[in-house]
Amino acid sequence: MSKRNLKAYAYLAPALLLAILFSYIPLAESIVSSFLRISQNGAVRGFAGLGNYAGLFRSEAFLRSVGHTIIFALLFLPLNTVLTIAAAAATRRKGKWTAVAEFIFISPMAVSLAAYAMIFKEMFRGRVSIISRILSTDIAWLESPGTAMLVLAMLGVFLDFGIDYILILSGFRSIERDVLDAAELDGAGSLRMLFSIELPMIRTIISATIFMAVKDALLISAPVMILTEGGPFRSTETVMYFYYLEAFKSGNRAVESTIATLSAAVSMLSMALIAIRRKHALKDI
Amino acid sequence: MKRTIAALLIAAAALPLIAMGGSESGVETVTVWHSNSGKAGAAFDQIVEDFNATIGKEKGIEIEPVYQGLANDVLTKVKAAASADLSSLPDIAQMDATSCLDMMNADYLITIDELGFDTSILLPQAVEAFSSYKGLLGLPFSCSLLLAYYDKTLFDSLGLEPPRTLDELTGIAPLIGAKDSSGKVTRYAMAGVPTTYELGAFIGAQEGLSYFVDNENGHAGTPTEVLFGKEGTFRNFLEHWKKLADTGYLNSIGSGTTTEFAAGRTAIILASSSSLTRILADVSGRFEVGTAFVPMTDEDATGGVNIGGDALFCFSGSDAVKTVLGYLTSPDVQMMWAKETGYIAVNTGIYDDPDYIGFLKENPAYSKAVEEMHASNPKVVGIWLPSAYQIYYSFQSNVMDVAEGNKSIDQAVDDMVATVQDALDTYAAANID
Repeated sequence: MSKRNLKAYAYLAPALLLAILFSYIPLAESIVSSFLRISQNGAVRGFAGLGNYAGLFRSEAFLRSVGHTIIFALLFLPLNTVLTIAAAAATRRKGKWTAVAEFIFISPMAVSLAAYAMIFKEMFRGRVSIISRILSTDIAWLESPGTAMLVLAMLGVFLDFGIDYILILSGFRSIERDVLDAAELDGAGSLRMLFSIELPMIRTIISATIFMAVKDALLISAPVMILTEGGPFRSTETVMYFYYLEAFKSGNRAVESTIATLSAAVSMLSMALIAIRRKHALKDI
Repeated sequence: MKRTIAALLIAAAALPLIAMGGSESGVETVTVWHSNSGKAGAAFDQIVEDFNATIGKEKGIEIEPVYQGLANDVLTKVKAAASADLSSLPDIAQMDATSCLDMMNADYLITIDELGFDTSILLPQAVEAFSSYKGLLGLPFSCSLLLAYYDKTLFDSLGLEPPRTLDELTGIAPLIGAKDSSGKVTRYAMAGVPTTYELGAFIGAQEGLSYFVDNENGHAGTPTEVLFGKEGTFRNFLEHWKKLADTGYLNSIGSGTTTEFAAGRTAIILASSSSLTRILADVSGRFEVGTAFVPMTDEDATGGVNIGGDALFCFSGSDAVKTVLGYLTSPDVQMMWAKETGYIAVNTGIYDDPDYIGFLKENPAYSKAVEEMHASNPKVVGIWLPSAYQIYYSFQSNVMDVAEGNKSIDQAVDDMVATVQDALDTYAAANID
């Protein structure tokens, strides 16, 4: 091994160590545990075969939680993508007041998730909530299944907005000036400029934010814990919240490992698919 | 991931301890994890303060109360602590019936019998509620039961008595409910969706005594079989409940029923007797609050309600722990606790106390709970189930779906039997030899 390689491995070592300790070993443990019967205290009681998997797919609540996660993603992803791109596009040219707008858009990042979830909970609580007053309706947002999911999606957007906005905005601002000048000389209007020149140029950043948003949507749990606790009537129980209930409320260790294994498998599969697609896309160029 | 969350939970649980600093030398600290918030929280803090300033000071014992969220959150944290490291467990944890099955099968629990604590002075119904075939799991601290709260001003103006059965309620629903000129309901007859706790009464009372699951609802051993399906008790309840829903005067909301009641938008709600002081405060004299026995499914449902509330579960058997247990169930503490919260006192020593008798007389709403307790079959006991948190929400969803017409009664019964049976099987396979 050359000295150069050694140096590279030395740099890599801390990250690798953390990954092995906190990701790969637990993952391996989860995979093994998902085929066992395990007591609440962690004692192995025997071999379960595929029993844990069969039980999970028999469970109405689990299947519903998968459905809820998909519904959440379908609400959250378009909302999040459109809103952050729109906000970044509207403030991409530096002007007199853009700093104010930037500050407002970025500030959600400065407050913790739990605090925002609590604020949302208060704003939407009951039939005479602040929001219902403002909109002069008597919708009990968090007490009816459909609207509770909508509020959850809005909270999700709020939580991701700041970071996505910064990324997309810096994307816009890093576009070479001469490209824009050339387009302007050719007579491109501002809309044409945005949709035909600028957005295509920052598409890698946009796809990165979408990728992060997909991950956030599929793993959403903490906002659920605080805002809705899976309610009303289990209508906002997502897969990760269901996992939390099994693992911590009910102490079903084997079931918990089964869910962990399944979600790891799903994310590995999607990573692989993305990697293959990228390879093809690169070939096309 | 679970490890990380477990570590975080424990860190969060331990934070108040670190913040308080180490105890002085020679003083033995007894940590109590509890779930008392609001009025009960203030009362509990006062109780602890009094101990630390008097008995505790004399004997060199200090109670360190740690608020750990709702009763079920305390259980979550106890289990997380136990699975990480037994030394991170508190000395005492205040928990409710949902923790009993886990505690019955936990080798780190020290039962009250093992502690050798004399319980003869305590309320027999409350002791029964936490008794298992392994002995008394936790020392009853607060005792409550399901109670019907109604707008007495409204009932009096109509010349009505509170309903004794769901059918009676269905009959008077259009009278106690109200609609505006456009046909929109402005006052419902009843609000809420019964789930495990309420069904404990609705199912438990049928035929004088009915169990949810075998082994006397889990008290005589880990339950293995669902009974509410094949005995038809859940179906019977759903049929009566559906009739009530079909009047259009049932508001199927899963939370916020006391707010609706206080705002005059529902005539009756079911709530724990321990909510009494809070409900009275919310209503704040806008109308007279009456309390009554829970309206049962039918005339044959005579078993009454089950006793709920909290018990003190011990994970350490020191003399200091016994002293603290003795203090928390002492006449003075129980008297103050009952007055401040609405819980029924568990120390029978005060039942002849003129002060307590006077308190009951002045608070008819409170004494109704005591009356209901005596009218109930003590064998109608709380349901000890695994995955209790999830089953709670499954019952709620299914009852709501039936009430709203989204699911047939047959389907709801089948789904709930399957859900609970699955939970029993999973639990037994993993935890029972």
